[in-house]
Parts: sequence; structure tokens; C-alpha cells
Amino acid sequence: MKNINLYINDNFYNIDINEEDRLIDVIREKINLTGTKEGCGEGECGACSVILNGEIVNSCLIMAFQADGKKIITIEGVKEEDLKQSFIDVGAVQCGFCTPGMVLSGKVILDNYNNPTKEDIRKGISGNLCRCTGYNKIVDAIYNTSNVRREN
Amino acid sequence: MEVVGENIKRVDAYEKVNGLALYPQDIYLEDMLYGVTLRSIKPHAYIKVNIEEAYKLEGVVKVFTAKDVPYNHHGVVFKDHEVFCKEKVRRIGDPIAYVVAISEKIAKKAIEKIKVEYNELPAVFDPIIAMKDDSIKIHENDSNIIHHFKIRNGDVDKAFEECDVIVEREYKVPQVDHAFLQTESGVATIDKNDSITIYTSTQYPHYDIIEIAEALKIEHEKIKIINCAIGGAFGGREDITLQIHLALAAKELKKTIKTVYSREESFLSHSKRHSMIMKYKSGATKEGKLKALKVDIIGDTGAYASWAINVLRKAGVHATGPYEVENVWVDSYAVYTNNPFSGAMRGFGATQVPIAYEQQMDILSKKLNMNPIDFRLKNIFKKGSKTATNQILSEVIVIERCINEVRKHIDFSKKGSGIGAVFYGTGYGNGFPDVSKAIVKLNKEGKLELYVGITEVGQGAKTIICQIAAQVLSVNTEDIILINEDTSITPDAGTAAASRQTYNTGNAVKLACEKLKEEISKKIHSNNTNLKEVYKILDKDSLIKSATFTAKTTVMDEETGFGDPYWPYTFGACGVELDVNEKTGEINILKAVVALDVGKAINPKLIEGQIDGGFAMGIGYTLMEDLRIINGEIKNKELSKYLIPTSLDTIDIIKIIVEEEESSGPFGAKGIGEPVTVYVAPAILNALAHKINKRSYEIPITPDKIINLINSDKSKE
Repeated sequence: MKNINLYINDNFYNIDINEEDRLIDVIREKINLTGTKEGCGEGECGACSVILNGEIVNSCLIMAFQADGKKIITIEGVKEEDLKQSFIDVGAVQCGFCTPGMVLSGKVILDNYNNPTKEDIRKGISGNLCRCTGYNKIVDAIYNTSNVRREN
Repeated sequence: MEVVGENIKRVDAYEKVNGLALYPQDIYLEDMLYGVTLRSIKPHAYIKVNIEEAYKLEGVVKVFTAKDVPYNHHGVVFKDHEVFCKEKVRRIGDPIAYVVAISEKIAKKAIEKIKVEYNELPAVFDPIIAMKDDSIKIHENDSNIIHHFKIRNGDVDKAFEECDVIVEREYKVPQVDHAFLQTESGVATIDKNDSITIYTSTQYPHYDIIEIAEALKIEHEKIKIINCAIGGAFGGREDITLQIHLALAAKELKKTIKTVYSREESFLSHSKRHSMIMKYKSGATKEGKLKALKVDIIGDTGAYASWAINVLRKAGVHATGPYEVENVWVDSYAVYTNNPFSGAMRGFGATQVPIAYEQQMDILSKKLNMNPIDFRLKNIFKKGSKTATNQILSEVIVIERCINEVRKHIDFSKKGSGIGAVFYGTGYGNGFPDVSKAIVKLNKEGKLELYVGITEVGQGAKTIICQIAAQVLSVNTEDIILINEDTSITPDAGTAAASRQTYNTGNAVKLACEKLKEEISKKIHSNNTNLKEVYKILDKDSLIKSATFTAKTTVMDEETGFGDPYWPYTFGACGVELDVNEKTGEINILKAVVALDVGKAINPKLIEGQIDGGFAMGIGYTLMEDLRIINGEIKNKELSKYLIPTSLDTIDIIKIIVEEEESSGPFGAKGIGEPVTVYVAPAILNALAHKINKRSYEIPITPDKIINLINSDKSKE
């Protein structure tokens, strides 16, 4: 047993964990934020993506104790309604299992680039697998959000 | 007010984009036990199972084996699967035992404590060997051939004599995986009356109930399925996986049980797309008229039949491609081996054959010194054409239009360009009752409650169904309350497969809504009365209407294959331009265009999403995906080794929706979930051959194989 502090979606959690708990286990099972999905368990599919101190990471590859004291954003904490709405508007959602990870990757791309090209976006989401959409509408959703933000 | 034809936003998008959609693995209940499955590590063996040591672990509640299952069999067509193997395993991954414990960790430890003594049997992995009379048998049958589908149309031998060019080639495609992102999972609960509820993700909840009830020997009414959010399916959730295990444990233990498969177990547990060997002999006259076709298809269904009969039949029916051929001879075999089992996967047999028939078209046209597009158009299906099974295509056929649309964007004389033109028959086929039911009810709020057991696998079924209902009753989709997830209150809408939900269930919903509309208009003549008022005025029982739609299909003659197996047929064409890096062997797709027959686009944006997704899956099938099965073992049961396309492997494609209303479709619509992937592989393969003047007869055509191809002396086209 170990005790850690996590700052998830602006909330503070002090929790007991086992040494072998992965970050995804703690997020889903102890904090009950089930929007973070597990698709492969080896950091390949990106369904478990969360933002850790500003960077997109696979929460299945990070041990919970490694996140001690760090700031985490999960899908439930994404405040950028424009980005989420853009996913809905362009039709970037199908089965939905990759969607939380895609939205989070999209957020990080938009945080880091003012004017991402579609190629930048493709690179930015290349760690997130999607079997349904062929990615094009996901790229469009992120790209459109960037365009609209710039226009405003 | 038009709702059909509009880009209505998906009704399930808000939940999904906010991480609120509930997949079965997201369910955590009080006092939940966990179940873990022990699976065979041998492809063919007699087994003896000793579970004693597992029980010694603290926290183990129960170890289920074959003797605990009242009727230990299941299967979608043949009941050739055992719930748990009793004496014999027939493939790696066969379930042997199911441990239920207080935690997943303990259950996993207990699995390792179970002793399985494998007495190995000779195994067969090559379907050609398995077909021989003296082959070892996988099941208790006289032969491993479980189905032989035939077409005997015209006089093929005589017709070949009259041909000026004949092309004979053999094509091979491997077993591949659906690789949907959400692995199988489920939670089962039981109440005081012994009624079992299973929360899971399945393509056909009403059929799962039949299989569970049969295995457990309990009444259907005692089982309810809540079909949660589904993270993709593509055919891989048609055969049952963990549903019977969960129900059995809930029934015996009177507890709540949860199971979530790892990615590795997901690879082991569900079906695969059939690998096929397709031998083609095609002949044409010098005027460019296809005259004769002889096709031999062998499909490896692995250790279990699943949908093999239907898949190999569908492959056979589609063997000609969308072309008139007077003389057709088809033998299509489904064969048992000790490989992973094959079943349904997007396209269902109609995905494999275009790789052969469309390459044959290009090779023939080259021999004839004809433009491949002109050659296709000379033979293309038109209204009134007869298919190889003598089915008359009585609707307007748009495949020529599709090809011409693609041609506007791709210059097929340019090196590195290629085309794939296809057709796809909707529905279960071969006279099997293809039925969807729906109930619509006006409630006191003036909203329409729509009860229909339709499955949302991601394709957009919920949204399409709401649009159809809203259009008939002249309301907004927000006024439709769709109830589709609970089998205890929804009528059976059939499976989310065969591209049949928009067409079949869409028709059932439309009919039910039309009945309700008629009922209202009989009594209330003013168009201005709102539905809340209607509810107050009319008899409540008269405001519930149900309807059934059954698709047209006939049983084919066993000897000739004659009949009308599918209805309707959907058409599509795809053109690509690609470049090949001759040093690395990498293919770079520069441009892609798809023109797709949709009947009527209920929701164009959802169709575009299907086209994009189908194209990506086609890229994976053609260039990347292979389960690398060696002696029955999948060598890449991880997404880091079984590679599927990423965002860097796909491109923006030009999507052309071709509308020509199908007279029997809801508002003229057809299903497109499968057609969107079947034209991709032949388009890429033809473009590749065009580029490097050498042709690949096998997929996936990975960079190493392209290098070999470029360096090979055999440049035969």
C-alpha cells in the first residue's frame, strides 16, 4: 500500500494504492472516471489517453505512484466545449470507444499549435487508433476548431 | 419538414464525446465477483482437467467446467462449439474452464493453478489437406467439408472454347481480425425471481438469449440482455463469447459477475474473416465480351463453422463481380481445420472475391488490348441483367454511373491508377427469414416511443431509425424516444449484420409509424392538432402500432445455385492513384475516390463516415493485416504486432454519394455498412500492378513483399 496525491480535473484526491496499480486502474476503479478506456493494455491504441502535466500519455503504461502530485485531465475534465461540439458537428464519432482519447489528443494539439495543418493533426493523433472512422472526420473536427478559434 | 436526407447529428454523440457512454466494462456494482476464462494452448488434443489446486486459493468462489453446463453446446448455425471443452480441444483459444473469484487478480492466479493434461492429436491447418478423405477430422463428421456451394449456369467448357482470351490465376487472402477497440466484456446479475440480466455488447441480443437459454436449459423469459454501448463490431460480435459463461455463473452463484477480456483474449475468443484460396479462370471474346467463368473457392473456417456456409455461399454468389457472364461454374467450399475459427467480418465473403474478379478484369483487358474501364462497361450489370444465379436485377442499376463518377476524378491511363467495381447483396440470404419488428407508441407528452431491438455498433443505426420515424410522423428527431437496448421490452430487429438494419429495420419502423399516422389521420382531420392533443382525444390502445418487415429472398437450387438469394444489391466503385517507393517497398496512396450507391441517403454525413471507415479498413486488409497463424497459433495477439491503419496511413478521400431510390427501401434507402470496404483492395492491387507492371495475387502486400515482387523475374500479368 502507498498513499498518493492526484489532481484530477481540478479535484484533489488523496488515495491509497497498490504498488502495481496502473494509473488507468486508479482513474477508473478508485475515482470512477470511466471515460478513460482500455483497448490494448500496452500503450498502442491510445483509448486510455489522459493529459499528465500538459502532455498526452497512455494511462495504461504509467504506474499510479508515478503520477503522485501531478495534474491530470481526463475526458470528464475537458472544458473545451467547442472541440467536443466540433466532433459532434462533423460526424467524427462512431462507436465512441476511441473518442475520449481523440478529444484529449485534439486538445493537446490545439494547446500546442495556433495554426495546425491537417498533417500536424494526423501526426498528433497517430498514437490513437480508431477502427470506425478512417480518421478523416476526426482530423476535420480538430482542424475546424482551430479555424473557428482563430477567426474569433 | 424534411428529416430524411438531412445531416442530423448523431443521437449518441454527446454521451460519447463526453466519455459518458457506458460500455459493459464501465459497470461497477456492489459485491461484484470476477470471472476469468482458461483457454486451450493446443490446437488439437484430448484433455483432462484438474481444478483442485485452483480451489485452494483463497477468494476462489467456483470453477466452472463442461460438467456444470446443462447443454454444453452453442453456435450460430451448427451447434459445434462447446461452452467449455469436455474431452477435446480443436483450436488454440478454446474455452476450458471459467474461474469466478472475489477479484480479477485472484481469478487469474487460479487459472494458472488449473492443471490441463493435453494428449495431443495430429492437427490439420491447411484446408486443402483437410478436404481430403483421409485427413484427420476436426469434428465427428465424415468430412471436414461442411458446405459445397455450386453454381452451374450455361455450358462453361463449350464457352471457353469460344473465348479469344482466357486468364487463369490463383488468389490468396489470409485470416484477419476485426480489431474493434472495445474488447468483449459483460456483467451478469440475478434477482430474487432467478431472472438473469446480462449487460454486454452484442450484435444480436435476441439471438444471444436463445443460445443462453438453450445452454442453461432455462426459459427465454428468465434472461434479459441490456445491450450497452458497443465499441465496434464488424461481424466479430455475432458469435457468442462470454455471455453464456456470465449467465451460468450468475445462475449458479446467485451473485453479480463481471468479465472483461484483455486484447489477447479478444483475439483468441472471437471469429476471424475467412482466409480463402480463389482459383479463377475467366474468358472473353476479342470484342471484349465476358463469356465464361470457372471459379473454385476454398474457405478455411477453422475449428468451428460459425457462418461458414453463408460466407462461402455469399462469396460464390458474388464470384462474377457486377458483370454479366453467360456461362458460370462455381464451386465454393467451407472447410474445417484446427485454425482459429472464421465467421462474419464486414463484407462476409463478398470482400474476398473482388480481389480475384477485379484483378481478372484488368488482366483480361490488358490481353485484349482494351481500356480496363471500357472493358468493364461492356459487361457491366444494367437494369434487367441476370446475375450468375439467374436473379433478374429489376431496379435501376447505378454501377455504370459509379464508375463514371470515379472516372471524372481519376485518370485511369496514368500509371499507378487502378479501379475496383463491386456489388453486394444485402440480407441473410438463401431464403432465410430476414425479419425486423418495431413498435411505435404515442405517449402523453406527445412524444413517440419507438421500441425496436436495433443494435448500435457505431454505424449510426439509432440516428437513422429516429430520422425515418420522425420523417413519417412529421416531427423532429428530438420527439422520438428510442428504446433499443433492453430485450425484455423491445421486439426482435434481427442482427446488426449483412448491411440490413437501415433497410430491414428501417422498413419495419417506417411501416409501424405509417400505421400510427393513418390511425391518427382517420380520426383527426386537422393537420394542426399537436400530438399531445391527439393523445388526449384518442383511445390510448389505438396509439400503439407494431409492424414487421421481411426481406425478399429465395432458397437457391442446390445443384444449379439458381435463385434470388439477396435483396437489394448495392453497388460501388473506387479509384486510387498511388506511388511506390521502389527502395523501401512502401505504397503511398496519393488520391482516392469512392462513388457509392446508397439508394437514398437518409443521413449523408453518416454515409461519409462509413465510406471513410470502410476505406481505412480496406487499406489495412490490403497492405497490413495478417494474423500470422502458425500451427494454429496467432503470432500477433497484440495491437503492437497486429497492425491496423493509423491516422498516418489514411488520406482524405473524395466521396460521391450516388442516389437512385430502391423501390423496396425505406424512402429508397439501401444498406452500405459492408459495401464501403469491398472495393478498396482490388483498386489498390490494380493500381499497384499498373505502377510496377507486376501483380500481387496475395494480400497483405507489405513493403517486403513489394520489394520481392519488384525484384522477381516473374512479371506475368
